[in-house]
Amino acid sequence: MISRNILIATIFFLAQLSYNNCFAVEPNEILENKKQEARARNISKNIRCLVCQNQSIDESSAPLAKDLRNLIREKIKDGDDDKEIYLFLTDRYGDFILLNPPFKLSTFALWFLPFIFFITGVLIIFMHKKKSKWIKKN
Amino acid sequence: MKNQLIKIPTILFLSILLVLFYLLVIDRDPSKLPSNLLNKNAPEFVADSLLDNEKFLSKKELNNNITIVNFFATWCAPCREEHVYIKRFSSEKKIKVIGINYKDNPEKAIIWLKKLGNPYSNIAIDKKGKIAIDWGVYGIPETFLINSSGIIKYRHAGQITKKIYKKFNLLIKEIN
Repeated sequence: MISRNILIATIFFLAQLSYNNCFAVEPNEILENKKQEARARNISKNIRCLVCQNQSIDESSAPLAKDLRNLIREKIKDGDDDKEIYLFLTDRYGDFILLNPPFKLSTFALWFLPFIFFITGVLIIFMHKKKSKWIKKN
Repeated sequence: MKNQLIKIPTILFLSILLVLFYLLVIDRDPSKLPSNLLNKNAPEFVADSLLDNEKFLSKKELNNNITIVNFFATWCAPCREEHVYIKRFSSEKKIKVIGINYKDNPEKAIIWLKKLGNPYSNIAIDKKGKIAIDWGVYGIPETFLINSSGIIKYRHAGQITKKIYKKFNLLIKEIN
């Protein structure tokens, strides 16, 4: 039984590894300059594939994802910095194209709600403990 | 008292779960998001023209008139489906319609238009899909409504159906 569990865990672990390593960049897309290629990969990982939506363009083989990957590489070759490339994409496709939502007034709840929930939870526990102590004492 | 202390967080938790489940289940199609270019100037471009020997200049084409810009290709089945409405814009409503032929074979496109009828006053060739990216296109067909000052007033991603055709006509009346 234990060995079976270990086997299952190993399979899951390996599946996870292979998932992290998968990308759709084709050999002819790769830039010769390794530093530039690394920058392109890094940006691509943060850009949503608009056709498949829950994949980055780095992982997607959709034609639009490929076009966007090529566009990012062309812009890097032209000397654009990362900020300019992100701006170019969000100007056209909106913040939806970013897999990491930016910190803005409209995304305030998204970023802070978890902390608010956490603090509320801690307060509830704290008050509960205090009350039960008080009940025990009296 | 103790009962209530368990009840409140449970109810809270379940209601959050319900909200999240609702958000998961409802149809939230991102192609229905308004274009980020809404109320901005239509991106400018120069391209080869499918019908003309002269270059297609967007600055010249998207000026002084309410214009419909339609991204299409012969390999795209919904484009064929919506073609009857694109034709109605130009023939019945007398609206200027510009086509952008997306990643297509120009010869096939010319044959396709001869067969189905050509509603476009001019057609730009977007061989590599770069114009489409500049316009924030998700996938074709996609149709933009441009006012007489060259500003994008509406974008529809996907096929133009009877309902969308009516919506376009209402919007045209509004901006006219």
